[in-house]
Amino acid sequence: MIRFSNVDKWYDREHHVLKNINLKVNVGEVVVVCGPSGSGKSTLIRTINQLEPVERGEIWVDEVQVNNPRTNINRIREEVGFVFQHFNLYPHLSVLDNITLAPIKVKKLAPAVARERALELLNRVGLAHKRDAYPANLSGGQQQRVAIARGLAMQPKVMLFDEPTSALDPEMIGEVLQVMQDLAKSGMTMMVVTHEMGFAREVADRVIFLDHGEILEDTQPEWFFTRPQHERSRQFLRQVLAPMHG
Amino acid sequence: MDFTQVIQAFPSLGNGLLLTLELTVLAVIGGVIIGTALALARLSSIRVLSWLAGFYVNYFRSIPLLLVITWFYFIVPFMVGWVTGTNQPIGAFTSCLIAFMMFEAAYFCEIVRAGIQSISKGQVNAAYALGMTYPQAMRLVVLPLAFRKMTPLLLQQSIILFQDTSLVYAVGMMDFLNVARSQGDITGELHTFLLFAGLVYFVISFGASTLVKRLQKRLTV
Repeated sequence: MIRFSNVDKWYDREHHVLKNINLKVNVGEVVVVCGPSGSGKSTLIRTINQLEPVERGEIWVDEVQVNNPRTNINRIREEVGFVFQHFNLYPHLSVLDNITLAPIKVKKLAPAVARERALELLNRVGLAHKRDAYPANLSGGQQQRVAIARGLAMQPKVMLFDEPTSALDPEMIGEVLQVMQDLAKSGMTMMVVTHEMGFAREVADRVIFLDHGEILEDTQPEWFFTRPQHERSRQFLRQVLAPMHG
Repeated sequence: MDFTQVIQAFPSLGNGLLLTLELTVLAVIGGVIIGTALALARLSSIRVLSWLAGFYVNYFRSIPLLLVITWFYFIVPFMVGWVTGTNQPIGAFTSCLIAFMMFEAAYFCEIVRAGIQSISKGQVNAAYALGMTYPQAMRLVVLPLAFRKMTPLLLQQSIILFQDTSLVYAVGMMDFLNVARSQGDITGELHTFLLFAGLVYFVISFGASTLVKRLQKRLTV
């Protein structure tokens, strides 16, 4: 489904943010990407839909190389859903219009069909009653659930999540993770950048640990949590799992 | 002071005011459209385009409006004749309207540009991530958001434009102020007429300005 081969990326030609990334995500897999801040994990998933360009290597989604200049990147982006840390809903549109905008304008779906599908998705994320509300009147958790519905409305083959719960108040993290877990159960291929280790343990098929732009671990959650291979991943796990008020 | 003279002149003053308002509204519409196009050009990654738009804006912001009005009064008929191939007079109204549109476009451009730049990168990325092209992202997301933020500024600029339309006296147009002045000359009540004209400009401008401030409060919520 997604394949990185020998991918390198630099910022300003000197800061090496992704180092020789080789990675494969199979259909239906849920892969959690974690690592300390500045490790390049957000950059990594942003390269898949080319919100960040790469300088070397190849990235493939299905049978299409996304970083080939001849590829129409917009066609790829239609099939790769993306959920942002800060939701980025359109503040001038209602919840329903946020979800139907791209299906109608990009996929040329009939408005009635797009609407019906949007309502279905809103039901799925438990926000059907908010369809006429505006983003400013929703809580962070609700906004993120709408953003997930917005991504799903394009009927993507893959969903990418860039720290979807990092900007949320603690009491709202659960509702968003629940929606993501349901989505994973439905068989969606997912790549999730997150610090939520509970989610990684319970939902992920694989955990990737990134540090300084390098993949240090790519393994099953069980192995990652019980027998991490590198000192740096052990240190990371101690930090995120340690009881903070101990 | 004899205000009965003013009341008697109401029909012609009304015509003058109508012309002033017509000129203002049309110039604002045209100016915003040209200004938006200029703003998109200035922000374009195509160097030549952004340089040309930048030059246009800097040029028109550096010369007096009165100069543009008189200059266009002479030059626009030639330009129109050259484009259409005919030699028909086009009238002061059209040439003044074009002058205002093009002059104000430079100011509107800077407002629109600031508006576009104020939209967060995240909103733009969200549009791209859903497969939108650059024109789609601009038209469906960035410009609607930007105009929402800019509306108060655009309206303030329009109020200034409303006052500036009085400069069309230079090419003999009978706008509100020019009518008031000539009526004042005819009746010998110049002071009364100018006082009245001032009052009308003040009521319209100040009233509109107050409305804009109220709108601004509502939009920022």
